[in-house]
Amino acid sequence: MQETVLSIQKLSKNYGRIRAVDNLSLEVQEGNVFGILGPNGSGKTTTLGIVLSVINKNGGNFSWFGKVPGKHDRKQIGAILETPIFYPYISGENNLKIIANIKGCSYETIPEVLKTVELTERRKSKFRTYSLGMKQRLAMAAALLGNPKVLILDEPTNGLDPQGIADIRELIIRIAKRGITIIIASHLLDEVQKICSHVVILDKGKNIYTGKVAEMINASAHIEVGANDMDALEEELRKNENITGFEKDKVIMMVKVKEGYDSAQLNSYLFSKGITLTHLNTRKKSLENYFLELLAEK
Amino acid sequence: MIKLLKIDFQKIRGNKVFWVLTGVYALLIILFFFGIQGFLDDLADEANKKSPIPLPGLSAYSLPDIWHNLVYIAGYFKIFLGVVVIILITNEYSYKTIRQNVISGMSRWDFLASKLMTIGMIALGATLLVFIIGLILGTLHTDSITFGKLFNKTEFLLAYFLETYAFLTFAFLIGVLVKRSGFAIGLLLLYYYIVEPVGRYYLPDEIGAYLPKKAIGSLVDIPNTSIMRLFGVEFQDYISFTDTLVVLGYVALFVGLSYWILKKRDL
Repeated sequence: MQETVLSIQKLSKNYGRIRAVDNLSLEVQEGNVFGILGPNGSGKTTTLGIVLSVINKNGGNFSWFGKVPGKHDRKQIGAILETPIFYPYISGENNLKIIANIKGCSYETIPEVLKTVELTERRKSKFRTYSLGMKQRLAMAAALLGNPKVLILDEPTNGLDPQGIADIRELIIRIAKRGITIIIASHLLDEVQKICSHVVILDKGKNIYTGKVAEMINASAHIEVGANDMDALEEELRKNENITGFEKDKVIMMVKVKEGYDSAQLNSYLFSKGITLTHLNTRKKSLENYFLELLAEK
Repeated sequence: MIKLLKIDFQKIRGNKVFWVLTGVYALLIILFFFGIQGFLDDLADEANKKSPIPLPGLSAYSLPDIWHNLVYIAGYFKIFLGVVVIILITNEYSYKTIRQNVISGMSRWDFLASKLMTIGMIALGATLLVFIIGLILGTLHTDSITFGKLFNKTEFLLAYFLETYAFLTFAFLIGVLVKRSGFAIGLLLLYYYIVEPVGRYYLPDEIGAYLPKKAIGSLVDIPNTSIMRLFGVEFQDYISFTDTLVVLGYVALFVGLSYWILKKRDL
């Protein structure tokens, strides 16, 4: 059975009057590549800050590996919040040594993680001399120290050039294949779509959708139909219980259907009711549209 | 626990500002200690020219009084180390490394403990410096050195350690409180040279004596000199138990407040 890695129940955090996290609940299972998706200011970093014990919560609970959270859990978690943070006057390698000592792991994995992020050559250079891409990669190296069970990445590709973005994404996918649970906060749908298996969508600190990324893409699928007699079409659509909703858009209907019900079935159903379609088309909305739709529904 | 000290040492090792400042501090102390006798001699010469009766010369370096003398003078320089401590802690805030330390697996207490141990090492280093200089100057300027002469009054060194440690925890608290180095250093100097002295002017002595700077400074009183004895002024030439208790109380208070702030605030 899969172990629950992170469980959050009814978590809340206020900054003055603003509710940064609002009654948020979610669960991350072992092996998930879990995306936390939301626009800027939706509470992603705050949520991660709370579960990493650097931000104090106002209400609710969370647990790591089914236990009351403590510093020993964090030693099994590799995490980067917002920007890469290191001592600027210390070399990349020595910065990793400090983190290894905090985590209580040996220096043995340092050459390996430096190699993974391709920083072996620059390991002796001071952190402040690194480019942004190198800083991000050193942060990944730090997160990978001591073979963590969980990796937390907050906007890991923020501010990088296309090559840097591609490098980091490839790295994340490679790490995910090792079976490490990964939690990624991002405001980029494309990123989540490409990397994640599961997703939670946050808006104003609230959980507005949780599920598998694949299901979310399916859920966003709809069928467009059109007929000469739109009123009759509407009436028959209303009678069909496989149809979860529809929307009139000028001369066509946008129909949402239950999972497993497809355009062929819809076509033969309507034909049996005496409606001949003049238009039939299946569309998968991009995650982007679906995301905007979810935000708009609120 | 040793591991926490090691972690903090790794942070300090490459920190040029730290080494430059502590180096300047050590240099100042050395120059001042070695030069003070010449200054006192000049002072005595000047005074003798004007005085109708011959005044006895002052010897700052004779054992065992040298411990009291040096420790008293070194007390004036501790503000320098306070600035060093403020820089060490405010750096962690400005680089946000305190946050990353906790994310990586330190508890807030671990973080505080590592800094308190570093402060302890700084106070220890300052004490050792005084001890070594005292040993050199004392043996050079004392006739017939005995074991008793050498180590009598070394309790002043212990007092100096406590004085420095207490003051540095005070500086640390200010650093934790305001987080920004310039602001924190300004606040420390303001409190140290203006707020408390002015406050003590308005407060009754029984209260004023317990203000932090005064209480910590009173641990080692002004050394008695033969001149002062001539005038009938007598300072405390021992370390009082109550003074020690008050200072220990302040250490507990400063550490406790620092921990409370660390715990309460988001990082």
